Amino acid sequence: MRDHSKRRTRLRGARLLAIALAFGLIAAACGSDDDEDAAATTAAAAPATTAAAPATTEGADSLEGTKVTVFGPESSDEEAGALRDALDHFAAQTGIEITYTGARDAADQINAQAAGGNPPDIFIFPQPGKLADFARDGHLVALPADVIAAMNEHWTPAWTAFGDVDGTQYGIPNKSDLKSLVWYKPALFESKGYSVPGTWDELKALSAEMIANGDTPFCIGIESGPATGWTFTDWVEDLMLRFHTPEDYDAWVAGELAFSSDEVSGVFTEVLDLWNTPGMVFAAGGSIAATPFGDNGQPLVDNDCMMHRQASFYAAFIPEGTVFADGSADAVDTFYFPSVRGDQPVLGAGTLVGAFRDAPEVWEVMKYFGSSEYAEVRQRAQTERKGGGLSGFLSAATNQDPSVYQPLEQSFLSILQNADVVRFDGSDLMPAEVGAGTFWTEGTAVVNGDKTVAEATAAIDDSWPQ
Amino acid sequence: MAALWGAFIGVVISVGASAALFWGTHRLFALVERRWAIVAAVSGAIVGAAAGALLSGIRSGPESEPLLAGSQLVWILGGAAVGGLAGTVAGLRWPLSAARIGAVQSRLRALTFVGPAMLFVALGLIIPLLRTIYLSLFDKRGTDFRGLANYGEIFTNAQSLDLSGWSGIFGSQLFYGAVVLFALMAAIALYRGRRRGVRADFSPGTVGIGLGAGLLLSFAVFASLRGTVMNNLWWVVAVTFLSTALGLLAAVIADRVKRESLAKSLIFLPMAISFVGAGIIWRFMYIARPPQKNQTGLLNALWVWFGTLRPSSGGAWAAVAVLAAVTVLLAGLCAFGVRRRQTAIAVGSATAAIPLLWLIYRFVGPGVGGSVAGPNDEPIAGTILFVQESPYNNVWLMVVLIWIQTGFAMVILSAAIKAVPADLIEAARVDGADERQVFFQVTLPTIVPTITVVMTAMIVLVMKVFDIVRVMTNGNFGTQVIANEMWQRSFTEFNLGLGSALAVVLFLGVVPVMGLNIRRMQRGE
Amino acid sequence: MSSTVTRSDGAAPGAPRPGGRARDPAGRGSDRLGAVIYRFLRSIPAWVLWLMVIIWSVPTGSLFLNSFRHRDDQRASGWWTSFTEGNWTLENYSDVLSSGQQTGGLWQALLNSFAIAIPATIIPIAIAALAAYAFAWIPFRGREWLFIGTVSLLALPNQVALLPLLQMFAGGAHWTIPGTETVLTLFPDFSLAGTATAVWLTHTAFALPFAIFLLHNYISTLPGELFEAARIDGADHFTIFWRIVVPLSVPALAAFAIFQFLWTWNDYLIALTMLGAAGENYPATIKIASMAGEFGLREHLLSAGAFVQAGVPMLVFFFLQRFFVRGLLAGSVKS
Repeated sequence: MRDHSKRRTRLRGARLLAIALAFGLIAAACGSDDDEDAAATTAAAAPATTAAAPATTEGADSLEGTKVTVFGPESSDEEAGALRDALDHFAAQTGIEITYTGARDAADQINAQAAGGNPPDIFIFPQPGKLADFARDGHLVALPADVIAAMNEHWTPAWTAFGDVDGTQYGIPNKSDLKSLVWYKPALFESKGYSVPGTWDELKALSAEMIANGDTPFCIGIESGPATGWTFTDWVEDLMLRFHTPEDYDAWVAGELAFSSDEVSGVFTEVLDLWNTPGMVFAAGGSIAATPFGDNGQPLVDNDCMMHRQASFYAAFIPEGTVFADGSADAVDTFYFPSVRGDQPVLGAGTLVGAFRDAPEVWEVMKYFGSSEYAEVRQRAQTERKGGGLSGFLSAATNQDPSVYQPLEQSFLSILQNADVVRFDGSDLMPAEVGAGTFWTEGTAVVNGDKTVAEATAAIDDSWPQ
Repeated sequence: MAALWGAFIGVVISVGASAALFWGTHRLFALVERRWAIVAAVSGAIVGAAAGALLSGIRSGPESEPLLAGSQLVWILGGAAVGGLAGTVAGLRWPLSAARIGAVQSRLRALTFVGPAMLFVALGLIIPLLRTIYLSLFDKRGTDFRGLANYGEIFTNAQSLDLSGWSGIFGSQLFYGAVVLFALMAAIALYRGRRRGVRADFSPGTVGIGLGAGLLLSFAVFASLRGTVMNNLWWVVAVTFLSTALGLLAAVIADRVKRESLAKSLIFLPMAISFVGAGIIWRFMYIARPPQKNQTGLLNALWVWFGTLRPSSGGAWAAVAVLAAVTVLLAGLCAFGVRRRQTAIAVGSATAAIPLLWLIYRFVGPGVGGSVAGPNDEPIAGTILFVQESPYNNVWLMVVLIWIQTGFAMVILSAAIKAVPADLIEAARVDGADERQVFFQVTLPTIVPTITVVMTAMIVLVMKVFDIVRVMTNGNFGTQVIANEMWQRSFTEFNLGLGSALAVVLFLGVVPVMGLNIRRMQRGE
Repeated sequence: MSSTVTRSDGAAPGAPRPGGRARDPAGRGSDRLGAVIYRFLRSIPAWVLWLMVIIWSVPTGSLFLNSFRHRDDQRASGWWTSFTEGNWTLENYSDVLSSGQQTGGLWQALLNSFAIAIPATIIPIAIAALAAYAFAWIPFRGREWLFIGTVSLLALPNQVALLPLLQMFAGGAHWTIPGTETVLTLFPDFSLAGTATAVWLTHTAFALPFAIFLLHNYISTLPGELFEAARIDGADHFTIFWRIVVPLSVPALAAFAIFQFLWTWNDYLIALTMLGAAGENYPATIKIASMAGEFGLREHLLSAGAFVQAGVPMLVFFFLQRFFVRGLLAGSVKS
């Protein structure tokens, strides 16, 4: 280096000095970072309040080239693919660039994304309880009046109510599931002389008859990875609606009726008594708690059990090649999960979309999600991707073209749209600590015989956030 | 391809920036030496400009005018001028002595080496750590101060710590097994000690027996004392010990067999599989099916197949014959060892025969494997629910991590074994040491620091175990661990206070282990 | 040390026995039998190793064979039945490879994985090797405590650091000086959230404590005489580091490179958090896990997916294994 001329050395030295100092400054500055950056970021990302003038959504053609990102848990090629097809259909009409990203853990991730200041424009919430949490934390933007009006054209108040948080509408229904269903094989029932039960007592009598004949009545499995236990909560919810009034159900979901009350713990006991009856359950995984809920379709088809209580989307889990409700010998059909008190309550579930950004293009896409057009396009795409079988998708939006649904799916829709009492899946409405936490885990513990009903219900009550 | 270009540019920028930092400081040192006044002047100007920028921004309220008049640019330039002047004066007035230059240089040199790492550590770990400690004192959403209430909630919860089953320790077979092994270890050590004229003499074999006994004892304790915290400790003890021991075994043996790289690659293979993949793999291993169905999981299939070898059936007699033949061979080996006064051979073969005798007894008597007598005394498959039956389901989950981490221990220990200077080993051989002695007296002492590193890393990693539990049980069936609970609290429920408190507990639980190990390692140098 | 070798097998002390225990200590006959038995005993470790290899391979092998079976077969019978029935299929692999075409498919995801894993491996190694050398061989005040402090951060569960880092990447880090309106930008808003850069920056930060720990352990055991000699020849720290430390540390660097590559290649959580809804940048782990669907409808694809995912790390391991060579130090130092 000494051979270099002094001048060059000095020049280069100065330049390098500048670089070094710049690095030093960055290092020093970053070193003194503080928690307030979190506050600053959140403030920057704070959503516009309802007071802000609702974005005008007129003139969709002016939205050419705008971008909207949608995020959600539906991620398989069939579901996410059909969802993308439906969004592409809308994008072609409006020129909005819509990207949908599906990730299996999206429901956990959205917490971090919202808090980290990196939310998508629209999220598909798998649970209304979660939507309510986000609305109350100020992450979601309330729907403008014209979006609400558009939604009301397609959805009945029974369904839009799940997107209503403390009197303000934040969510639009996107997909509906019918949970009060029992899958069975009509031809097998006929050949064995069994008849579809109309009441809970008839169901129990039928089960006893099956056991006496050497048949196993139910296939049950509650394993579902991190969500293990939700099948049990579905049974409890369905029976809560049947043994008690809708008002009791609402009080229970709102945390006013304790799990340890006679009403709720009585239902726990009712479910467990049935499941623990010797010969009642075929558990494909060795025990109920060990059996993945998706593994119950095969034994039903193989006649290892006679019935399986599961939601409408379970069609997708029944092995390929099975025919549905066409009267043939191996066809699989459903019957309504019998009631106790003579009314016909229905347990439903579904997903809702909520918006994180207040912009005209976002509201256009939100409106589209709530339309019957979306449901039809998606249903057609999903049926096609499933190779013509039941798609697993269902939407309770009114004014849909019924021909996009197959006969069995149409019967689900008529149950959903004509029921006297529709209640949403309770665990999805409860706070996450319970609905996606202790209700599942403590439920799994009682099913596995690790805890008594009294211990489990008391533990769930303890975990209810104050 | 755009993504790859981005990555490439990222690497170039980062490496380039590091190199620039290096050479920049390198030149700076030269400059400090020769042109101290200029350096002082420039530094003064920069500090002055920054101070001017800050001063011009001070306001009394959000909407009010800056307290100090004048435009920002003037303040910055003025600050630079004043600072530069002060720097020049100071640089000329107090020239640096050679000693001080040396001291400054050495400190700055260390900084250039450590600086980039510290920058990342500060941004990526220290700030989050401080934030976590801060949040752990607040409620769910980090708004209301709660003091230490979150910590109280963790430790008063019976789910975290349930010591009520302590008496079960003394009733377990594991406990008695441990006692027997401890007694055996003591007996051998005393016997060897008497022959050598010391009180007790521990050979590697004796120490091995003692470690095994300790492991059994820990299993007896952890199977009786339950709760999240106990589960975590159980994981740490079992996985750390077994993975390191098995990894060391594999590394040592692989070092001297043909096809070393094949053997090592296959043991390493689990490390290459993602946790999602590992979850699926072990689900297939552990799955149980109803008795009337084919078993699809390998372990239950074998278990049920053994169950079909009912006592006094042809299969059972065949098994007994094979076992008996092996036992006879072992007896011969034992006799050989006794005759040649090779205690290791005699004791080893005798020990190996014990499980065989037990198996023979099971085949003749109560039967082996999963099988229950049906109504007509026909065998019905009896399966094991590996993942659901508490408390030993914890062990079956640990098996997954041991399966993965053995490859980790093996690779690092293998690298250490390869690095043992060849002349050291040669010297020992020349002195007449056999392979075993070379290992225990040259190789092992040389790689002890690496074993410490592996075990320390393993303790930390296992303490934070999360993915396996989440994928396999999500904490159900009494398998909850702290990291999974933390995940559920902070991400599923978004309870930042409790989640952060759990993280702090986890952190504080490991730090002493780390600190102690590192200090000992450094002192050992 | 090597001169103090003592016998530990309990036999009576005697003359040194080159060639191990093959000689009959009593000098009696039956040497043929003894030789056979000793040869057998000496082969036991190898048998143990291969037994271990088999046990370690069986779970992976089971999944591998299952990945060539139809979903319904996987659920109805064990993989071993397919040896007699021969009902193998490549359908799972073709499904996995053709999945997610709307968003670029699996190939794009594998490229994304490279874009994350390569910088996330190279950069921490470079930075950590420098720091490890300084901690081991450059004396400066507070060195021990800085080292312990850095390595102790290994104990920090990474999950807690995700949220603050995401905030920083999404909006930068800003600090309002108390009592003033002046906002200092500590980390500018580069809009990194959702990019591969955010992912590998995070990996780099998380990797450093372990990398420094591992490399420091190795570098600190290098013979100091080498450095002394170099310093006498006028070499500065940088020259020593580049010319002596790096070449001698190749096994440790390779070992760390392997682990870091595997961890970042197989990482799911950090990538998902930093990328959020930016699905076009998802690495293969997220793509494959998501193929199974929200409720695990197509979970049978995960078996084939796991092997598609594991292929690259296996190649990396085979490649880097060559660097674990014995005797790198041989002859470089007097013992």
